[in-house]
Amino acid sequence: MTNSRIAFFADVHSNLEALEACLDHARQQGAEKFVFLGDLVGYNANPNEVLERVMQLISLGQAVAIRGNHDTACFENYKDKMNPIAHLAIEWTISKLSNEHIDFLTNLPLILHEEDRCYVHASAYQPEAWHYVTDGLSAWRSAESSEKIYTFSGHVHEQALYYQSSVGKLICFTPHPGDAVPTGRHRRWVAIAGSVGQPRDNNPKANYLLFDAENECTYFHRVTYNHVLTADKIMSAGLPEDLSKRLLKGL
Amino acid sequence: MFSLFQSASPYSIDIEAVDDIFQTGKIVDGFRIGNEVHQGGMATLKEAFADHEEEPILLKIPRVGKDQPVENLICFETELTILRSLNSPYVPRFIKGGNLAKTPYIAMSIIPGVALEKILIEKKQLSIEQTITIALNLLKALQNLHAQEVIHLDLKPDNVLIDDNNEVYLIDFGLAHHSRFPDLLAEEMRKGIGSAPYISPEQIVGVREDSRSDIFAFGVIVYEMLSGKLPFDNPQTLSGLKKRFWAQAKPLRSIRTDVPPWLQEIVLRCLEPFAKDRYQSATHIRQLLREPSTIKLTERAERLTPLSFWENMNRWFRVAGYEPSPILRSEIIYEQAPLMVAAIDVSGENEPMFERMQRAASNIMKVFPEGRISCIGIITSSPTFEGEREIDSASGQFRRHLVRLKDWAKPLNMSEEHISYHVFEATDPASKIVEFAKDNDAAVILLGASRFVPNRVVPWRSVMTKVVEEAQCSVHIVRI
Repeated sequence: MTNSRIAFFADVHSNLEALEACLDHARQQGAEKFVFLGDLVGYNANPNEVLERVMQLISLGQAVAIRGNHDTACFENYKDKMNPIAHLAIEWTISKLSNEHIDFLTNLPLILHEEDRCYVHASAYQPEAWHYVTDGLSAWRSAESSEKIYTFSGHVHEQALYYQSSVGKLICFTPHPGDAVPTGRHRRWVAIAGSVGQPRDNNPKANYLLFDAENECTYFHRVTYNHVLTADKIMSAGLPEDLSKRLLKGL
Repeated sequence: MFSLFQSASPYSIDIEAVDDIFQTGKIVDGFRIGNEVHQGGMATLKEAFADHEEEPILLKIPRVGKDQPVENLICFETELTILRSLNSPYVPRFIKGGNLAKTPYIAMSIIPGVALEKILIEKKQLSIEQTITIALNLLKALQNLHAQEVIHLDLKPDNVLIDDNNEVYLIDFGLAHHSRFPDLLAEEMRKGIGSAPYISPEQIVGVREDSRSDIFAFGVIVYEMLSGKLPFDNPQTLSGLKKRFWAQAKPLRSIRTDVPPWLQEIVLRCLEPFAKDRYQSATHIRQLLREPSTIKLTERAERLTPLSFWENMNRWFRVAGYEPSPILRSEIIYEQAPLMVAAIDVSGENEPMFERMQRAASNIMKVFPEGRISCIGIITSSPTFEGEREIDSASGQFRRHLVRLKDWAKPLNMSEEHISYHVFEATDPASKIVEFAKDNDAAVILLGASRFVPNRVVPWRSVMTKVVEEAQCSVHIVRI
């Protein structure tokens, strides 16, 4: 990977409008390489379109993708591991996907290592167990297992940057959208990209992360997209109304 | 399992001796290294020259290596991040930063000034007049810093440079805090990093996000400029440092008789152990210092003798367990305790507007109980050609305007602390209003709308338009 700007998209969750808006934004920011941090499907109404888009980017050599828990739920029984609404959306998703799509999801890796970076959906510590990274300790476990300078992940829908303090432990920092946060290679970092397709911080804007490898800095972006359209599609598809409502408010 | 966390240092780097990299005469990143200017505990300063440039710049190089503490590098990284992001005429201009892992340096402009520390060593103490000038300029620099969400946290005469015009520049951001970047010094192994005489009580217990910590250090510096002494000495132990949790500084007036009570009030209030008891912002102190008559004097102003042993014991018991005040960030001060500039037409020609503006101001202040108002009246110094006005002496006119302003503000029932009155003479009222608002970091300007008078160019109309266009804060236009 020679380009210095990499965009990270986590928890797209079949939200085509948010994905396209984030892709456009990232391209304008000079990103030429895209990393999908899992949970491509679930919750929203465009699983086929989102998967087609991601598969296209991968075939062009512009993107890599890893697998999340919702993706796994498309071919393994996750009924007891998900809340009822999430699982309802997964059952609906499975009914829409082709065999080719299921194969694609099945063959996605759980974790990827590239140069000094690690990509994983939840935590690099037991990736298949989908541990949430919500505090310094869980971030530390993830960084410890990834053995890389940078660990990029999603699963948690809010953006966060964990950095190594002078005593070695990891401290959580809440980034401000659009700022260039210096993230030098001499220190270790766990960056949570935030959710593209289902923001949950009372702000409906989509989240994504842009990493500038050359200048060693990280941007946490928020992007406006037509979330009303996405919410309408959920209703038309006959998915639970709650999933539509939460998109409008970012819940 | 292989672990990168085994060493205490967060830095997975191994820099060869920086002294070799930055030897005089060598070229690093296009900079020709010149002579050493200063050798500090944490960093070395060297003169350097960019390509084809005659004017030297400054390189700050951290002291790193096996025998050096890791703090040197953390502070260096902190300063690199913050100086790069700052946009201020009161700090060195950031030129370039070297790669931290290979050639760590910060290239910055040279400030044409001497350290206040040096001036204080030479002169012992400064005149009241010079102290106030420097204090005002120091507040201007602090105000600028706090507005950019930066807290210096290591203000001391060593880090305050003064030029020939008494302008102030702040240097050394190694301990500073920027709320937009990860705080690398958070949860530092040693709590309360800073300089013993100047560090605020809350910093001693590890608080790093309160801009009022800089207000405390400001108080110590002004105390030192006036008296040549340190209010809480230079303790070398933690228990010595903790004395400032409860102790009262010796009154300035007991050291120096020409210190006016209002100046003692300002300094001692900055030195209050609890941040909530100090002035809440640099811009407020600056405004008070420029208008001493508006300062609310308390028992602090009257103190002439230090506390007795028993009074001290009493305070010590009362503040036995120090709990810092809830944190107030500078950007929150700006929102929760805003300054409103009310531009009042004091001509007396438009009574309904006069009253409407009173009500508007009163309503706004209900939302912001901590807000402040600066009432300004403008004497347009352009000669009037109407020829009918009573010819008043300039000072008489000034007084009359001031009285009108106070009349206007009376129904607002503001405490003296929260309101100030200013009459200016200006040919261009709009520019004066905008300039005043900018200078004092006002959040909003309150202004009466122009009256529509057919076939006549009304001066207030152009004032309104110009203020709306040029103001850097919100503008609230009052209409009848």
